[in-house]
Amino acid sequence: MSAQRTAQEEDPVATLAEGLSIWVGKLSDLVKKVVDTGPIRNVINWARMYSLWPVNITTACCSAEFGAASGARHDLERFGVLPIGSLRQSDLIVIEGTITKKMAKRLRMIYDQMALPRYVIAMGDCAMSGGLFHDSYSIVNGAHEFVPVDVYVPGCPPRPEALEQAIIMLQEKIRRSKVYEQG
Amino acid sequence: MSAPPKPPPLTTVESTETSDSGAQTLTLSVGPQHSGSGHMRLIVEVDGDIIVNVAPDPGYVHRGIEKIIELRNIIKSIPVIERPSIIDASNLNHAWVRSIEEIQGVEVPRRGQYLRTLLNEMNRIMSHLYWLSIYGVFLGHTTMFMWPLGDRELFIDLAEKLTGARITYSYLVPGGVRRDLPPGFAEEAVKRTEYFEKRLKEYDRIFFNNPLFTSRAKGIGVLSREKAIELGCTGPTLRGSGVDADLRKDEPYAAYPELDFEISTRPDGDSFSRAMVHMDEMRESCKMIRQIVKKIPSGPIRRKAPIVLPRGVAYGRVESARGECSFYLIGEGGDKPYRARYITGSYRNMAAIPAVLLGNRLADMPTAWWSIDYWPVEADR
Amino acid sequence: MSLSHEREDGLIQKLKENFPSDIKETNVIRRARLEVTVAPERIKDVAIFLRDKLGFDHPNGVSAVDYNRENRFEIVYHISSIRIKEMRDLVLDLKESVPRNAPKVGSLVSVWSGVENYERESFEMFGIIFDGHPRLEKLFLTDNWDGPPPLRKDIRFPTD
Repeated sequence: MSAQRTAQEEDPVATLAEGLSIWVGKLSDLVKKVVDTGPIRNVINWARMYSLWPVNITTACCSAEFGAASGARHDLERFGVLPIGSLRQSDLIVIEGTITKKMAKRLRMIYDQMALPRYVIAMGDCAMSGGLFHDSYSIVNGAHEFVPVDVYVPGCPPRPEALEQAIIMLQEKIRRSKVYEQG
Repeated sequence: MSAPPKPPPLTTVESTETSDSGAQTLTLSVGPQHSGSGHMRLIVEVDGDIIVNVAPDPGYVHRGIEKIIELRNIIKSIPVIERPSIIDASNLNHAWVRSIEEIQGVEVPRRGQYLRTLLNEMNRIMSHLYWLSIYGVFLGHTTMFMWPLGDRELFIDLAEKLTGARITYSYLVPGGVRRDLPPGFAEEAVKRTEYFEKRLKEYDRIFFNNPLFTSRAKGIGVLSREKAIELGCTGPTLRGSGVDADLRKDEPYAAYPELDFEISTRPDGDSFSRAMVHMDEMRESCKMIRQIVKKIPSGPIRRKAPIVLPRGVAYGRVESARGECSFYLIGEGGDKPYRARYITGSYRNMAAIPAVLLGNRLADMPTAWWSIDYWPVEADR
Repeated sequence: MSLSHEREDGLIQKLKENFPSDIKETNVIRRARLEVTVAPERIKDVAIFLRDKLGFDHPNGVSAVDYNRENRFEIVYHISSIRIKEMRDLVLDLKESVPRNAPKVGSLVSVWSGVENYERESFEMFGIIFDGHPRLEKLFLTDNWDGPPPLRKDIRFPTD
């Protein structure tokens, strides 16, 4: 322990880095406090609310209603929801229906690869509790078993209107939450 | 859930190895998260950008439906049967009730047969439109994503009027159908199909005659007639290879023998042919819907059918939007089947994916792959 | 259905003439549906005969059925014909039985290449081994599946 300390004392770069990181830490605490109390929070949350880009992954048959909701009549893009191929630029996973054990691993990987903040909507009864297939040998009974879920949408499959409401609820949730506690 | 073991990487380079000819090949893993749609993984081996080997890795939506059906009452199984192809629910439902009726020996009244055919044809249009919109996503053609989904709502509204549900109807039950035609349905159906036929002309103009599409689809993903037959392909994939096989003509069921329609085939077997078969089928379905609402006989819509499945074997099949959907059903006298083997169109066409992709360029993969109309949920069951 | 079964009877007659000792049982379920049970050792010869001489060139699927009370698996090849237009409505179920404790049969991929996926599925769902199959591995189940073949009749999964 003592040998380590002397080594650090002798290395001016390490000392500087250590001091700097303490200062950066203190500064970031301060920034967080300022951001979360002031109007900056509203601006950031406003930006996040209306650019919820879901990952382009479908898990089961609710994708048909997700497709219908993204299509011409329901047009989720007016809420800022635009399906996107890149994980790095997406903020939202809409888990569309049954999650099989084979898919659950991949879904968790995709969740881990997404940048913060990230949100999860569990769409359909199967994503909530296994639904119609609750007694199957190859499914996971609910998305909450491996990812934190923000909004649940019941229905088998839910109507596009229900998904729209879920998006609005998620936006309300984002609007009320603190900037650094999301995702 | 406990920490899962490390799964194979997703869309990444897995390995490079040297093939027999000395050329370096690269193994890519495409999916299940990819920029198209569908929960499907393909392990593709490329030499340069020519695909030399393809291994489909399905099962991301395998829900064990065959086991679930064995544990449920034949009526309670209907919603489970529908879920694999939610965009084509009534056709799958038809295969199920048809095989049950075959064992029970129940005859469906003619009005019931017409109503079944009506919903089946509406569903075929909806399913093809969904396919077309995802084809738009695969090809980066956003207009073709939006338009078919918007026009699909025309028929979803009609189906909702008829059955009470948007896409999952559970409308067909052993012995007939659940509900009769609502008032004013016939006029509405004629109006909507006529409007839709006008829209199909616009589709031709913006997409099917568009060099952006034709240059990417003509001559790509060729499946020869012999290969298609040998692999057991079905539906538009088979008809796109020049085989005029369609169960609606070959083994007429429901009201099809009394309707006037044509089977569309294309001889070339490429992506463009398969796409055009879908387009022709939508036109024919519109014609059929108009004929049905004109010709529909009066009478009962449902006959009483027992809730038990007597001892017996049946192989009931119908022509669903993606090809032949069949049940090999074995009854043992109870209210549950002893075994219900469920083979769907996509499952059968899965064998064609390697055949279609081999020898093409990697950039042509989306065009060729999605032209098969492979719906993974239906294939995995 | 009380229609005549001349066509079906004719097919069965032809099969019986060519394989007098290997066709164990035949049955016409209804018009255009017939079952033929053959000995597992000779199924390949019968299949090649069906394909080349009788025009059954289109595999519709393969089902496996677990008769655990009779201690056997039954493998059913559903085949139809595209080449002969008048026979397109006909489905022939080519059946074979194997004992449940040693489920090993010859694969028919070399006869109809389309049955590859179905045989793979029967392998993973019932544990039936197909000799000569090019790629006998898992198809649908999760990668680290360690349970028993799930569609066997004696396997029950807890319902919650």
